[in-house]
Amino acid sequence: MAIQKILVAYNFAQLDQKAIEFVTTTFAHLDGVEITFFHAYTPIPEIETQPSVVTGKLKSSLSYLAQQVMQRENDFKAIIDNLATKDLAKCRIQTIFRPRKKDIASEIISLNHETKFDAIVLNRKASRVTRFFSGSVSHKVLMTLKDTTVCIVS
Amino acid sequence: MSAEEKIDIDLFKVVFRAIAQSDNLEIMANHLTQLLVAALEIKGCTIFALNVELDELEVLASFGLSPEYVNKGPLLSDKSIADTFDGKPFVIRDVSNTNKLQYPQDAAKEGIGAIVSVPINFSGKVIGALRLYHHEVWDISDRDVDSLLVLSENIGLAMTYTRILKAIRTIRYTVDDIHDIWMLD
Repeated sequence: MAIQKILVAYNFAQLDQKAIEFVTTTFAHLDGVEITFFHAYTPIPEIETQPSVVTGKLKSSLSYLAQQVMQRENDFKAIIDNLATKDLAKCRIQTIFRPRKKDIASEIISLNHETKFDAIVLNRKASRVTRFFSGSVSHKVLMTLKDTTVCIVS
Repeated sequence: MSAEEKIDIDLFKVVFRAIAQSDNLEIMANHLTQLLVAALEIKGCTIFALNVELDELEVLASFGLSPEYVNKGPLLSDKSIADTFDGKPFVIRDVSNTNKLQYPQDAAKEGIGAIVSVPINFSGKVIGALRLYHHEVWDISDRDVDSLLVLSENIGLAMTYTRILKAIRTIRYTVDDIHDIWMLD
């Protein structure tokens, strides 16, 4: 039996829980399911300027930012490990936590090109004004991908 | 804490380069929050966009705060440091001694000592807010608040530019979708 590959985009948001519940009720009882939880974070910015007291201090503070990112990765893995031992014990679970180079939709599309998923689970909060500025992730993923089931939890 | 001035021209250079180098508003806003946390040695920073239909603040970018605090519930513009939406910066130097917060208990649980809230204005209208969260009671200098206001005005410009760019791209994609058969020339 071929393995069904499911991708779940995770963003530490309230609706993520709803997406996880959907994945749990839909796939947890099935054999041969591999679920990949994906989070793309914004990498720490590079400081390119002339050395000064402020930028020197800022560069030393960047290690604090790196620690915060590491903490976020640990939190992400802990959440998914908890799911893997409880709700999704029958499934193979993977996590991908990586820096983003572009918008989130493009990151999901790139990941789908690298690893062809059978289904992608996204969540979408209605009436978000930030969508005016950053665009709709679910809309771009739906418009771009072919031959992939996209589930949107709202 | 004394009202030491922490924002100077070197910090502006770093921050404005971060703004100018990114063509993605989310990445730019995230870099901005990261740089402000590092430079001002504060707990966290969030950039909000104002949803005028729901009178709510939506998180555009955030750094340093826990997901539980960020997701604590809807932030209503008339209950959460409402003075910001009169277009003026507002400083809560001690969160244990204010009635301006919508979720004061969550702020205390998060370990927030002080909050500075600066409106993001564009063309005379408030379109969002920049908020900085300190671990301790914070006596931020008037000059630093003024510098944050200049920074927030630039965030407003970047948000508006991104909005226009997105509209142009949408028009372009729509036009690209039109088959030659529909072109009458």
